[in-house]
Amino acid sequence: MRRFLIIGNGAAGLAAAEAIRGDAGRAGGDDITIVSDEPHPAYSRCLIPGVVAGELGFEALSLRPPGFYGSLGFKTLFGRRVTGIDSARHRVILENGTGLEYDALLLATGARPAPAGVPGSESPGVFSLRTYEDATRIAAAAEEASSAVVVGGGLVGLKAAVALRKRGLKVTVVVKSPWILSKQLDRWGAVLVQEALAALGIGFIFGQNPAEFAQKRGRLMGVRLEDGARLAAGLVIVGKGVVPEVRLAREAGINVAAGVLVDRHLRTSAPGVYAAGDCCEVSDLVTGERSPSALWTLAVEQGRLAGLNMAGRAAPYEGGLTRLNTVEFGGIPVASAGLVTARGNGFQELSRSARGAYRKIILKDGRLVGAVLVGDISRAGVYAALIRRRAVVEGLEPELLSARMGANHFPGALAALAGGPAVPQALEKMES
Amino acid sequence: MHRGVFVRYERCLGCRSCQLACAVSHTRAGTLAEALLQGEAGGRRLFVDQVGAVKAPSVCRHCEEAYCVAACPAGAMWKRPDGVVTNAGSLHQCVGCWMCVMACPFGVISRGPGGQAVKCDQECLDGDGLPACVKACPTRALVFTTMEEFEAGRRRAALQGAAATASGGR
Repeated sequence: MRRFLIIGNGAAGLAAAEAIRGDAGRAGGDDITIVSDEPHPAYSRCLIPGVVAGELGFEALSLRPPGFYGSLGFKTLFGRRVTGIDSARHRVILENGTGLEYDALLLATGARPAPAGVPGSESPGVFSLRTYEDATRIAAAAEEASSAVVVGGGLVGLKAAVALRKRGLKVTVVVKSPWILSKQLDRWGAVLVQEALAALGIGFIFGQNPAEFAQKRGRLMGVRLEDGARLAAGLVIVGKGVVPEVRLAREAGINVAAGVLVDRHLRTSAPGVYAAGDCCEVSDLVTGERSPSALWTLAVEQGRLAGLNMAGRAAPYEGGLTRLNTVEFGGIPVASAGLVTARGNGFQELSRSARGAYRKIILKDGRLVGAVLVGDISRAGVYAALIRRRAVVEGLEPELLSARMGANHFPGALAALAGGPAVPQALEKMES
Repeated sequence: MHRGVFVRYERCLGCRSCQLACAVSHTRAGTLAEALLQGEAGGRRLFVDQVGAVKAPSVCRHCEEAYCVAACPAGAMWKRPDGVVTNAGSLHQCVGCWMCVMACPFGVISRGPGGQAVKCDQECLDGDGLPACVKACPTRALVFTTMEEFEAGRRRAALQGAAATASGGR
């Protein structure tokens, strides 16, 4: 009986545990233990803004039915912190000094919020939004506050802003970039979303970072910006992105850059130790650049593959799209994949706006490398699949811009993905 | 082995009867006239595209390892024991994050008017067990069968065609 140990109970850790257990889908066989410093069963981090808004309770976030861990024979150590890894002895040390031995270990330690790095960051009333506990604390603080400042115009910041607005707070979002969602959208797409958010009553300040969170007698008073402007606020949410949680790996002597480094089989530099999800660094399929992996979908995929590899069922990871997002604000749906703007020579940008919908594609050497869809996200998955598969799309630009395009336009590249039936010759010819 | 909708592309005329029947079958009204009167949009769950000279319906394949299920952060999209992939009837409600729309390489999941994703759910089977789109297809370009039967049927048709050519018939 092999002993598998998983640190982390998020998307990657959960997917890995299930993959190790395999298709049988029931308890028995290998010993699988999941340790997490969070006290709960796995929940959906993406949904915690709903807790801030007062719309969702923990039950609505849970990812698996009650009794799930027991039914698969997973041992759980929730609310327990791992303090060290002794990779030479294949042992993990918990904070109470207990040692746990493993044959294969998965680091699925996730990421933590990037700090604002300015004076007053430790003030009461200054929060980040990463965990369920964060969300409940913010919800409680929002009861007492009448105005809030959100630092950061990314997905988390904007979702937090909408949630606070729903509670009736006056909300101002402070964004350093020239437009919101700068990782997901170009300027034109961002304008459409910003208008929808402004219609909800959310204010924006661009080109600024906070310089200080001001407090008085232990109470948060507001935010002073770089240009000296002061914003009154009883509540601040810092949404400046996340950084991979690599402390355990680094202290164990495992190779780490911005995130834990892994090979194609998601193995770290230490024997028997794997890593997956937000704590990792991965190569982007489009740019080839290494960057922290910080997407739910990537975490699930990496977790599953890491689990298979740990169980000895060799499953190479081909890399993913580190930029792949969907969201909806104020009735405006947004989807983007790959690059959002051209990166110099050799790139081609084509866009089309019609009836409140904006669609842009970015090509390089006849291949799709990026897509931005705002207002109408129909067929979004086809774009993402084409980018992932490096499909040649030359000649199909009009279809791509009008959304009158499906998997059947690219039978060789896409249609066999589900192991589906052979495509007719007439369609195969189309592609060549 | 669960059944799915398969396409005989060479038969499709692009009339889009399937799309209409699909949308109507997913309204509460259940008929086109009633649905129109009540201003109800069911949302079509299959798409007929023009690919060069060919009309090509895109349908959900209810994948074994479904991309949409893996992508759903809400725990709403699931594969039912009968093989149907749907965001209805699972642990949680769909929250309209649209990750499934982005994850589906076939482009057959849509943002529904009610703030939830809509896709083929086979909730439209009639008394004979046929889906609305298949029943509506005037050329029988859409067939409801298992993959094994569909492939076997194609092989039989190809053999018959070859035999007919060899014997000089048409």
